[in-house]
Amino acid sequence: MTPAISVAGLTRRYRDQVALDDVSVEIAAGSITGLLGRNGAGKTTLLRILAGQEFPSSGSVSVLGGPPAENDHVLRRMVFVREDQAYPDIKVCHALRATSWFYPNWDAGLADSLLADFGLPPGKAIKKLSRGMRSALGIVIGLAARAEVTLFDEPYAGLDAVARQVFYDRLLADYAECPRTILLSTHLIDEAAALFESVVVIDGGRVVLAAAADGLRGVATTVSGPVLAVDEFTAGRPVWNRRRLGSQASVVTVGQLDADRRARARSLGLDLAPLTLQQLVVHAAGWPAAPEAVNLEGTNA
Amino acid sequence: MSTLVKVARYHLVQPVLYLAIAWGVLAFGFAVNVIIFATNPATATDPDPRYTGALSSFFTLCFVRGWYTIGKSLPFGLTLGVSRRAYYLGTALLAVVLACADGLALTGLQAIERATGGWGVDMGFFRVPYLLGGPWYLTWLTLFAGLTLVFVYGMWFGIVHRRWSLVGTIGFIAAQVTVLLAAGLGVTWAHGWASVGHFFTSLTAAGLTGLLAALAVALLAGGHATIRRATV
Repeated sequence: MTPAISVAGLTRRYRDQVALDDVSVEIAAGSITGLLGRNGAGKTTLLRILAGQEFPSSGSVSVLGGPPAENDHVLRRMVFVREDQAYPDIKVCHALRATSWFYPNWDAGLADSLLADFGLPPGKAIKKLSRGMRSALGIVIGLAARAEVTLFDEPYAGLDAVARQVFYDRLLADYAECPRTILLSTHLIDEAAALFESVVVIDGGRVVLAAAADGLRGVATTVSGPVLAVDEFTAGRPVWNRRRLGSQASVVTVGQLDADRRARARSLGLDLAPLTLQQLVVHAAGWPAAPEAVNLEGTNA
Repeated sequence: MSTLVKVARYHLVQPVLYLAIAWGVLAFGFAVNVIIFATNPATATDPDPRYTGALSSFFTLCFVRGWYTIGKSLPFGLTLGVSRRAYYLGTALLAVVLACADGLALTGLQAIERATGGWGVDMGFFRVPYLLGGPWYLTWLTLFAGLTLVFVYGMWFGIVHRRWSLVGTIGFIAAQVTVLLAAGLGVTWAHGWASVGHFFTSLTAAGLTGLLAALAVALLAGGHATIRRATV
């Protein structure tokens, strides 16, 4: 599939820190991708550069076939809603009206129904909205704009669990109706995992994992049981993490397990639990430090 | 609809700042001056009319308008898929349109002021000696150039403040003072003050309007060069 977003050797240095360090990644057109990583990993900086709001120190960025910085042809086909989105002193309805002028595919009906779902009063001044309500406004703008490339930076900061579920449901429903490229950064990984077709994990300004979500299922497994049995089962296999409590051990092993291996585990009395996306991201981000080299060959997107 | 028009419209989506505040403050100043002038009748030694100079408040608010458009509205403007260049030019378009409309309205009010003998109290509120004392079209042209100038100047301040905060703004002011100082020293060393004085004393209102317009264009170019580096 043609990438909607293509980044190569992207580096962004600030005076005393490197926010992005030689980042290369491609995001397929017509997909929902999760941009995951710790606080300060570089997610927002990457999104800002993709949206032309920040400039790279070096490297190349291409969105919809061209560099986004000061490129009206590209920018008008994108929408980027930031976690800390600043608004002028206007009301909710003003923000939506202004947005509708800039996006030819703006769906006023969708905006109205999202306002109702989030309980967002259109006549309220934005500066008087709570944190969660401001996030909800960003979601309404980002979804109803129906831009070819939609970038969300922590879109649901401050939103309660019900409102977050509304977001997931409405995002998937609208995506099915109007497929586009959506890149979404979040901390709530497991909660949003079902949305993602692929994930990009950034840590310390570097891409540590870029893979199709399907390819990650079963890529690592937690093996638990008696120490001797666990050791026998995991012998010769790459291991990310090893914990021991008395006579019991718990080891994270990397690589798919075939039917024979699973049968062997059962015969040894071992429990097998696939790592969740969140656990995978935690490991990919280097916590705890992986004792052996991590090999995710074949899982790259 | 072109992107520039959309940007100008975006600013006017909440027109209170652009229309109500500037005109509201001017109306308040006008009312205050009328009361003061009505309770203090003109004497033989007073100039005719008695000028207030309160029109400067309108120029100050136009400067604030320019500052505000960038400082407050730029981040959301960029969210809406607008390049800095388009945002800047769209905002400049708004500056020109507002200066044109406000200039016309002020010129109309000046005509009423002349026709009513200074609102019946011999007050020169919309008239300014030398600057706004010529025929109506020259008054409008001077107001248009002056209002555009202060708006654009405010925009440049807004960009600097948005990008480099308070320290940057202070540095920006210091840089301007330094340029003026250097120019002053240059004139002194060249013994050119007599020529400078002659230039300004022989400058007509039309010439001054041209000077204001040229300055506005220079400030517009400066702001444009700055916003290309601004991040939000």
